[in-house]
Amino acid sequence: MKKLLAFLTLGLLLFLAACSSEGGSAKEPGNNGDTSDSAENAEKQEVTFWHSMGGAGQEALNKIVEEYNTSQDGIQVNAEYQGTYDESLTKFNAVAGSDSAPSVIQTFEIGTMSMINSGQITPIQEFVDADSYDMSGLEENITNYYSLDGKFYSMPFNSSTPVMYYNKDAFKAAGLDPETPPATYEEVEEASKKIVESNPEMKGFALQAYGWLWEQLLANQGALLLNNDNGRTDTPTEIGWTEEEGKSILEWVKRMVDDETFANYGTNGDNMMAGFLAGDVSMFLQSSASSRDVIDNAPFEVGIAYLPHPEDKERQGVVIGGASLWMIDGKSEEEQKAAWEFMKYLQTPEIQAEWHVGTGYFAINPGAYEEQVVKDAHAEKPQLQVTVDQLQDTKASYATQGALMDMLPEGRKIMETALEKIYNGGDVDEAYNTAVEQFNVAIEQANAARGE
Amino acid sequence: MSMTNAAQINETTVFDMEPVKKKQRIKSFMKGMAFLLPSIILFSVFLFYPMFRTIYLSFFLTKANGDPTVFVGLENYINMFSSPIFLKSMKSTFLFVLYTVPASVIISLFLSIIANEKLKGIGFFRTMYSSTMGVSVAAASVFWLYLFNPSMGLLNQVLGSFGIEAIGWLTDPKWALLSVSITTIWMNIGFTFLILLGGLQSIDSSLYESADIEGAGYLYKLRRVTIPMLSPTMFFVITVTIINAFQSFGQIDILTQGGPINETNLIVYSIYREAFVNYKFGSASAQAIVLFILILLMTALQFKLGERKVHYQ
Repeated sequence: MKKLLAFLTLGLLLFLAACSSEGGSAKEPGNNGDTSDSAENAEKQEVTFWHSMGGAGQEALNKIVEEYNTSQDGIQVNAEYQGTYDESLTKFNAVAGSDSAPSVIQTFEIGTMSMINSGQITPIQEFVDADSYDMSGLEENITNYYSLDGKFYSMPFNSSTPVMYYNKDAFKAAGLDPETPPATYEEVEEASKKIVESNPEMKGFALQAYGWLWEQLLANQGALLLNNDNGRTDTPTEIGWTEEEGKSILEWVKRMVDDETFANYGTNGDNMMAGFLAGDVSMFLQSSASSRDVIDNAPFEVGIAYLPHPEDKERQGVVIGGASLWMIDGKSEEEQKAAWEFMKYLQTPEIQAEWHVGTGYFAINPGAYEEQVVKDAHAEKPQLQVTVDQLQDTKASYATQGALMDMLPEGRKIMETALEKIYNGGDVDEAYNTAVEQFNVAIEQANAARGE
Repeated sequence: MSMTNAAQINETTVFDMEPVKKKQRIKSFMKGMAFLLPSIILFSVFLFYPMFRTIYLSFFLTKANGDPTVFVGLENYINMFSSPIFLKSMKSTFLFVLYTVPASVIISLFLSIIANEKLKGIGFFRTMYSSTMGVSVAAASVFWLYLFNPSMGLLNQVLGSFGIEAIGWLTDPKWALLSVSITTIWMNIGFTFLILLGGLQSIDSSLYESADIEGAGYLYKLRRVTIPMLSPTMFFVITVTIINAFQSFGQIDILTQGGPINETNLIVYSIYREAFVNYKFGSASAQAIVLFILILLMTALQFKLGERKVHYQ
């Protein structure tokens, strides 16, 4: 009997041990660091950095981190890929407040409000003040997004904006001027018709059903996504765009669907890009972060243009997309300081130049554009320049500062459903009204859940 | 004197026996518990606690990290049943079960019957038919994603060569659920085929011999011997496929992400979105409870209706 119990307890212990080691595997590099920390180089400060850069972005980032680790011997940064922003945020919420939490986490722009509300972060403004660091050296449109009442909560890092990619060869074949791409909704429609006339195999325009693009198309006509100045002066209570502004986008798409010049790729951006590269569609909207990929892989000449806007509205510009770096609360002062040093390092013009050329994201430090690597890249691929110009032409306003709210991911999905309804021949009024109603309910519920 | 003495002795022995028996009973109870302890602990940690926590959470609104904030009673449930998105998700789920379960079972039954014939090289076909069992959901979904691709997908190219207009397999709301179902049926076949083949091979050959002597034809044998003898296996296969269909997630996430127009937003995917994209753990928990009750009811119903027709040897 005793023997049996002993076995059972032993078995249970082993089991629990197996469980706990599994749970801790995510921070394995950190553990390794701990031992080396106490044994060999006690002075090296560990910084755990969770990021969501896959593919080319991950390569570029790992290179930068490695260079940083060898460039000095006080700080050891461990970069860990944690899946997409959504996945990484979910993991973070699960470990927040425990020892497994990272020192720094990269989170997408629409997660800004939920990070602030989480109470698990230290606003980087504290470090900016303590260090008298000058944030004004960074791109103004980017700092606009991330400062809230003049306070920085997170450090901007990777930023992109939406642009319109177009097939210059197809434009020539259709008798359009490849050097003056359509700038308004109406011009896009006209160009699409001509493309289809000259080549019935090719559709004119594609818009991925992607909530981010909806937000951008609104901002470009000066419309707010949420009321209370996009949630920047007070907690939003409902949507911020007017019926005319919202419907202008849906009606534009609807007209192209009716003209049969619109290519429907649903919510799948990869298929849309593949369709563009295969010559199935002549224009599409996508993040500038893909520009490197598109230009390198297209068998024809690719043009990049500004995001289109309605004819009767002036172009306001775009909201920056991408992500920023957050300092996690509850870590030792040394660790936070080390993390702050690393954040500053990432802002330097040299690193930003390397990052911009390696990925197609913006350099958030305009000084990077003076670096030789960037000049060379722009000379070779002048399209990259357009993406930078568009951001710098953006007019600063609440609309282009972008919205802040913790329900934005849900709002995106609602708008995607509305867009898909139009793509499949749905009625504009019906799709619009349903979406607005659901959007408002989502805002209401998010406010209720905060218990305020 | 001696009588009373004897009675006394008797009494004392009876008296002594009780605690001993009790002790033994406690001892054997403890022994039994000791054997059960590991599973009780495991079930409590991984099943009972999460389940009660889910029920608890379903009455609350939550913060992004899942901490409950405001008690709302049944509001999550009321909102859910008045939400057109959730009702659509329920409808899609039932349609999905309807599309996948009968097709999977019938196709696998057909395949297992023909693979049960004693022919030269039948092992090769058996391996082929059951091979999808070795393919993970993720791999199978990516493979089908390419077949469904609008620009370079094989399916649309084949249609194109016959002059038929391309179909938006995953973007057209009329087709998307069907496309996901086709993928799921393909993935199901390996498992159901293998189980059904096992069932067929365990049927006593003497039954067929007697039927042959009686002069029964092939179809008659199929109807009167094979199907009844296979019914316990069929019952198992149907139950498992239905539960699997209700719980499908991977293929949705990779193929359509619930789109187009929430057409393929099956209930488990809807729970995932609600919890990990919208960070509404309260209403996600409420949906999970509904799914739990649904599967419980379906299984109970099946046992009630199906078991009567099942023939156990």
